[in-house]
Amino acid sequence: MSSWYLGLSTSGHDPALALVDAAGRVVFAEATERFLQDKRAWGVVPDHVPHLASALAAVGARPGDRIVPATSWASVKADLGLKVHDALLPATDTLWMQGLQARMQHSAGAALLRLGYARESPEPMRFDHHLCHAVAACHFTPLEEAACLVIDGEGDVGAVSHFRLAGRRLARGWRSWGPGSLGTFYGWLTGLCGFDWREGEEWKVMGLAACGRADPALVETLTGLLAVDHGRLRFADEAAIAAIRAAVAPLARTPGAPVTDAADLAAAGQAAYAFWADQVLAAIAEDGPALILSGGCALNSSYNGTIAGRTGFESVFVPPCPADDGNAIGAALLAWMTDTGATRIPFGGGSAFLGSAPRAKTLETARHTAAAGHAVTDLAGRSAEAAAGLLARGRILGVMRGRAEFGPRALGNRSILADPRPGDMKDAINARVKGREPYRPFAPVLAEADLAEWFERPQPSPYMSMTLPWRHGVRDRVPAVVHDDGTGRVQTVGPDSAPWMADLVAAFGHKTGVPVVLNTSFNIMGKPILHSVEDALGMLATTGLDAVLIEDILIEKPVPS
Amino acid sequence: MTTTLTSPAPEVVDFLTAGIARFTRQDPAAIRPDSALVDLGLQSIDAVLLSGEVEDHFGIELDPATIFEHDTLASFASDITARLKAR
Repeated sequence: MSSWYLGLSTSGHDPALALVDAAGRVVFAEATERFLQDKRAWGVVPDHVPHLASALAAVGARPGDRIVPATSWASVKADLGLKVHDALLPATDTLWMQGLQARMQHSAGAALLRLGYARESPEPMRFDHHLCHAVAACHFTPLEEAACLVIDGEGDVGAVSHFRLAGRRLARGWRSWGPGSLGTFYGWLTGLCGFDWREGEEWKVMGLAACGRADPALVETLTGLLAVDHGRLRFADEAAIAAIRAAVAPLARTPGAPVTDAADLAAAGQAAYAFWADQVLAAIAEDGPALILSGGCALNSSYNGTIAGRTGFESVFVPPCPADDGNAIGAALLAWMTDTGATRIPFGGGSAFLGSAPRAKTLETARHTAAAGHAVTDLAGRSAEAAAGLLARGRILGVMRGRAEFGPRALGNRSILADPRPGDMKDAINARVKGREPYRPFAPVLAEADLAEWFERPQPSPYMSMTLPWRHGVRDRVPAVVHDDGTGRVQTVGPDSAPWMADLVAAFGHKTGVPVVLNTSFNIMGKPILHSVEDALGMLATTGLDAVLIEDILIEKPVPS
Repeated sequence: MTTTLTSPAPEVVDFLTAGIARFTRQDPAAIRPDSALVDLGLQSIDAVLLSGEVEDHFGIELDPATIFEHDTLASFASDITARLKAR
């Protein structure tokens, strides 16, 4: 009989599950949205029966094994009976989310009954939301000592928590109580820019901010919404918020209007975010020089890229899964630590590749029955070199290799790759494959060793967590991955962290003289990153992709003559 | 939970009295340990913020529901005092 620790992200949005084995290793982690192919999987239980069954099968669990479930919240928000703060996000949204969170908290672990792993309703362990964020983040870094800051939409009591990691033991410093949230602000800003935070469109605001100019007077107006006191956040009173909302209302973009109409507003909002986040960081400056940053706001890669060297922190570490999906890992590890008495947070080696692998049987079938006209080639042992050759010839390639990334970024295992050199490549991918807004940037991948030659403020970014300025003089060489403000959201690869991508980038560099590859997630707009071999072949058939590489099997469309 | 198991430490009572006076905009002298928190005009949002101040000031950890389990200032102060002694 083996023991497994099942961490469940129980927020009601971004459900996910993680499994930790008896030795404290994270052996599986996957967001529900991937399995269901339903973006954000709102309201779906994190122990969705078929998904949990596939995860347990993937790790080799068997009926009779002991499974200890754990949730990513200590409390049920709705049970506190607090009046909902509705000055920024509509009260209906908040009530809806509280209801979902209550349902997830109440039903967590029940699927174990259905799957034969429990004989009575399991009573999960329940852990503080921000502690889950912090533990999950620490699991991905080898650091022994660091400040650890969670900046989030909300938490069990407030939206910011400060911890200290010492000897890989985590101790709580302080936390913010009551209303006051950078995540809530960003959700509101997202709506103001004509997007929908419930769809997770905060990305679009961050991307758009790079195209705009932050008017200092508007930034000053916005910064009146929140006060930061010793790192704790507090919204202004209702009257002050109403006045600011009225002042910025004329700038709001209606969803039908051109996206770029909101660029200056997005830039001002991003500047206000940085103004507050800087003050939160200043409150823990004495904890330096290393910072671990987590919580949903740690997905703000534009801000993340500005922290090191400017704020008193010399290095910044952001895990691949800083948002609520990542809390499945935190809850699972906390359950393991509680059960075994371990006090040190285990270091997992840093790999984000914790999800499902392509199903070998399906791939074998596809290999023999690929639609007529497709060339099928086994590239075993030379797929990185061959892929580099395809990219250098201008092909757009979907790649599905090994285990899926945990977290929102495609890091080469579920990616669409292309040549960053042609000026029209960005438009080509957007038009032919992704179907998304033309202003949105694509990410550059390059070797960590080459970073300083291409970027200012170079710092490792293995999970695509940092947006950095390109050096002057190199931008013209890779126009498809340079944002309007001269930055790029970079992924650094090395022979240990991502050997296949490192080989591909090196081979592309040999062929072209430019050791930089364009990387974007393997999905179309509005859909999660794909999950199955069938999804990959479906995208090949229904988009302008030129080829897909699944494991080492290349499936290509005929090349137009 | 109104039974007092630990007698409230004076510094805790003083801290809560000053905090409640500030949130409810009244004279601290008018606030008695056996005053009901609701009667003093303490809103739920104020109760939450006061809990945060208690965490910061005394370096203990509270559950968000803790203050709502107490009717009176003295009862809440006893709970905090017990947590301080348990550290």
